[in-house]
Amino acid sequence: MILETKHINKYFYEPEKHQVLNGISLQIASGELTSVYGESGSGKSTLLYILSTLDSDFEGSLYIHDRDIKELSAAELTNFRNKHIGFVYQFHYLLPEFNVLQNIMLPAMKLGKKDKEEIKHDAVMLLEELGIQDFAKRSSYKLSGGQQQRVAIARALINDPALIVADEPTGNLDQKNSDVIFALLKEITANKGKSVIIATHDPKIYQNSDRAIEMIDGSVRL
Amino acid sequence: MSKQVINSTNIFIAFQYLLARKKQSLLATIGVMLGVTTFIVMINFMTGVNDFLDDAVFNGSPDIIISAKQKKLSSKPIFGVRINSLEKVKNIDHLLSKENNIQSFAHQVISPAILVSESKQLPGSINGVFPSSEKEMVDLKRRLIEGKGFESLTEENAILLGISLAKKLQVSVGDHLKMILPNGKSMHLKITGVFSFGITTIDNVRTYFPAKTLQNLLGQNDAITHVHIKLKDRDDVGLKTELSQQIGAATIEDWKDANKTIVIGNKVRDILTWSVSFALLLVAGFGMYNILNITVIHKRKDIAVLKTIGYSAADIIFVFLMQSAIIGLLGALFGAGLGYLISYMISATPLDTSDFIIVDTYPINFKLVYYVLGIVFGILTTMLAGYFPSKKASKVDPVTIIRGI
Repeated sequence: MILETKHINKYFYEPEKHQVLNGISLQIASGELTSVYGESGSGKSTLLYILSTLDSDFEGSLYIHDRDIKELSAAELTNFRNKHIGFVYQFHYLLPEFNVLQNIMLPAMKLGKKDKEEIKHDAVMLLEELGIQDFAKRSSYKLSGGQQQRVAIARALINDPALIVADEPTGNLDQKNSDVIFALLKEITANKGKSVIIATHDPKIYQNSDRAIEMIDGSVRL
Repeated sequence: MSKQVINSTNIFIAFQYLLARKKQSLLATIGVMLGVTTFIVMINFMTGVNDFLDDAVFNGSPDIIISAKQKKLSSKPIFGVRINSLEKVKNIDHLLSKENNIQSFAHQVISPAILVSESKQLPGSINGVFPSSEKEMVDLKRRLIEGKGFESLTEENAILLGISLAKKLQVSVGDHLKMILPNGKSMHLKITGVFSFGITTIDNVRTYFPAKTLQNLLGQNDAITHVHIKLKDRDDVGLKTELSQQIGAATIEDWKDANKTIVIGNKVRDILTWSVSFALLLVAGFGMYNILNITVIHKRKDIAVLKTIGYSAADIIFVFLMQSAIIGLLGALFGAGLGYLISYMISATPLDTSDFIIVDTYPINFKLVYYVLGIVFGILTTMLAGYFPSKKASKVDPVTIIRGI
């Protein structure tokens, strides 16, 4: 088990107090691809931000790798995220000032465990695995949506985190590219033993996941 | 800021951001550069003028002058005039020799006189000096244009003239003059030196003549009209007050009284320099603030991404602060270079002056400390201006940004 939540409640205070998540208790197994799906406003994205430690303003507890996330200071949490969690968003969010290779290298350069040459080597390997090695030196904004999303996945993988969190990773792609990205995420789960959590409303994805969790009005349907 | 924050990765990111918007970075750099340039040029020029005036005035005139009070005119004017001598000069000498703050002092006999050259006659005054003590007061060697200094006053009819006075009389070294004193006596003089203090008010009227000869001609062998005092610490005004209490029948004037316009002029120039420089650096700072602020607003998404992939608030602050530091440093260095260039050009510009000061070119100071000051100010202002946008950047909440699409 990589992740566990206990009775997570979450409120929004704007425009008025309103409960978004209602007593979420979950266990996510290691090496599984888990989908969280539900209608807009069901709270799936909110849950995802909590699970990925970006949002720590909630009631209840979250354990990742048996660490109680609420006990970590802001700085510790940043390091923890850098080391253990990789992100993929609906929009690729690559940094336009950097080329593809540099974008992938950024999290590893922050982690600072390897020297620049090793990181570069790792990044090139990832690019090859994802089939985009030809674009290494290109500016990230000169790629197609599907290619950018693959670069984003490579960036999420560079520090070899145990957990990959993806928020609507195919939401902005056409069917063909969606299939490619989902296949990649499945492959990462199967071959690299990563745990992947995807928030999605695409039936094709949650129907083909190892596990699918449906959210209705802030609660998990059992 | 911890060591973890200052690392090559963060510096790399900062550079990358700067290079990604070259035009804005260049503009910000030019802003800082112009601020620092102006600061350096202004301070070089203003302090150059101040130092020049200080040097000329304070080297050419004493810090304190004790002079005989004018006696009231008697109802029946007596012609056979005697000049007013200071009373109890020995007591004054005794008093001065005990003072700590006195560097040197000298006696003078100053008498009205008419100077007659072959072509001109000018009323003026003759400064009778005692060469051995006067040379402690005035560094005339540095001021000599032609001829010899105080050492030539051993000849009893030798006279030294200020350059403007010599020009008016149309004479130069080696020429002869006739001097007519109020008591009717006259003497032929030989000009042995011409000097210039650079200030017309001195160069127009100042003469140096042997006091002994003057006393003889006046028929007042012990007459001393003035005691000139040079102080160690010019700003210590205690002595003037003390002298006023102890010496009765005398006028005591210090450098502040004598040079009011110059003292005020220096103050005004100082205020002008600092306020204009401050304003310019402020403008440069605002430019930096503006550019960085806009960047932070535009780059909120990128900042959010950096935060999700492991960059802490401190990292973000450093990345943005680094950008202003680089711009500040570059701008300040270029500004110092350009400032030097412009100062040099001004210092080489010929200047035609005759009314107040006499110089060939503008007086410019080239002190290293002003360049250091300019560079430090430039960098500090930019970094201070960059701090607030940087702080703002570090507070970007990734969830709000990512959700907000």
